[in-house]
Amino acid sequence: MKIDDKTTKALEAALKFREMRQELISSNVANAETPGYKAKVLDFESALARALDVDGQTPMNTSDENHYNVGGGGFDNLQPEIYDDPSGVVSDDGNTVDREKEMALMAENKVIYDALVQLVNKKMGLKKYILNSER
Amino acid sequence: MDLLKSMKISSSGLAANRKRIESISSNIANAQTTRTAEGGPYRKKEVVFGSEPARDSFSEILEGEIDAEAQEVHATEVISTDKPPIMKYDPTHPDANAEGYVALPNINVMEEMAEMITAQRSYEANISALNTTKAMAIKTLEIGRN
Repeated sequence: MKIDDKTTKALEAALKFREMRQELISSNVANAETPGYKAKVLDFESALARALDVDGQTPMNTSDENHYNVGGGGFDNLQPEIYDDPSGVVSDDGNTVDREKEMALMAENKVIYDALVQLVNKKMGLKKYILNSER
Repeated sequence: MDLLKSMKISSSGLAANRKRIESISSNIANAQTTRTAEGGPYRKKEVVFGSEPARDSFSEILEGEIDAEAQEVHATEVISTDKPPIMKYDPTHPDANAEGYVALPNINVMEEMAEMITAQRSYEANISALNTTKAMAIKTLEIGRN
């Protein structure tokens, strides 16, 4: 097992994106009555899935130092997408925030964030166990 | 750090709604005021919300697009101009004009109360967003504590 493995990287990225999502949800809730404000959503799941190569497509070979790893397997240039919520209903003042939906998303985000923190701790516990097992 | 910025955004929402409640209180308290420093009856105050990118330092502006997506809310207080005062016939009133009419503020107290409840709900929504963010930030401190 590598000390800096794929799981740790994925967990780190997921934590970062959950924080980002929390920020966007806070922004949507704060601006729930701002005229013309459009609710924003963050999509990082597909970028993370590409980086983790979950669909099993082999990533490009990077046999030369000038090669770039595009698509699968790269955690370094992981970019989430932020766009205006296409499912938002436009109210009279041009606002598209659905406060109930945002609060539900926030609750979900919090639960998964907590789960991620636990997973990080489990992973670290595992590494600690390996480091101590030779004695 | 992102979570601190989330808290900043939620607190901007709290401040904006507090300002809204302030102006509603002022409207209700002055629903019958016929004398003001500017002269004439009290005029209804309204709060207008506007959003702006949540940034607190120059380096964050340089950081780029993603951070600029999260918006803070800012409230500006404006004096409503589209509502003319209500003219009520009351010749005994000290501020009555020559025809016996008094100019009273055009404030519907029921409307103000409804608006106040909306503001209260918004305030509560921001409070719970803030609490969730805080719980997440505290949870982060648990990383590595085992």
